[in-house]
Amino acid sequence: MANDDLLQPARRQFALSALALSAAALLPAAAGAQTPAPANPAQGSGPIVLHGVSPRLTVHALDTYHGAAATGLRIDFSKLEGGSYKLVRTVTANANGRSDEPLLIDESYQAGDYELLLHVDDYFASKGAKLPTPPFLSKVPVRIRVVNVAERIHLPIQFGPWSYTYSRGS
Amino acid sequence: MTGITTHVLDITTGQPARGLQVELYDVATDPPTLLNKTRTNPDGRTDSPILPSASARTGQFELRFYVGDHFKAPDGLSDVVPVRFAIFDAAQHYHVPLLCAPWFFSTYRGS
Repeated sequence: MANDDLLQPARRQFALSALALSAAALLPAAAGAQTPAPANPAQGSGPIVLHGVSPRLTVHALDTYHGAAATGLRIDFSKLEGGSYKLVRTVTANANGRSDEPLLIDESYQAGDYELLLHVDDYFASKGAKLPTPPFLSKVPVRIRVVNVAERIHLPIQFGPWSYTYSRGS
Repeated sequence: MTGITTHVLDITTGQPARGLQVELYDVATDPPTLLNKTRTNPDGRTDSPILPSASARTGQFELRFYVGDHFKAPDGLSDVVPVRFAIFDAAQHYHVPLLCAPWFFSTYRGS
């Protein structure tokens, strides 16, 4: 069967080469380029597998207005201590819409209440989005609770100028 | 109609979230000022607008949804969900619903 053939590394490599050659033939203008630039930077990197990694808190921010990773989004990450949120660190979403390092990992991954303050207003202003003044969403607080530090938490956040969604991911 | 209304839907049951505590704050003040505190009715809405038309004004507001008490899930992702937003035109109506499960929260400007 064709699918079984693709599972064999040598044949799979051959099949991929054939695909690449076909693609090059279809795109004569790009034939000289080693690796064509991705049409959309947001789609430029593959999925990141987190299965089996040590307990940690990770975040992934996606801009549903532009259909892109929220590169450049500032996130102030705080922990609730003594009744108020104390800043732990500020991160900026990278090319993939993630923080370069987990927000919490290993010893720093402790049970508690945390806040991610998303600077949605500055983000859309930097993109030149035409929005009311002040915009509907400015600094968006996302508050989460870490209960079981034996389990990692991945936090995908999708946001636009008029909506946002977050959930426990994987 | 002007002011702020809300609607809470429990996507784990496909039903309105009944009896869920909701508060509205003015967050332009420090500390924030509690403007209203109520619970959702059997339709998942508040019996009267959480910010009535008569009180409509521009400003920075925050709804707080007490989802932890509603779901009672020991490992729920959020306990109290704040939704902070601006009224930039007091002549408009701001409907701000929350769709929720213990591990999923979604809000948007509705109509």
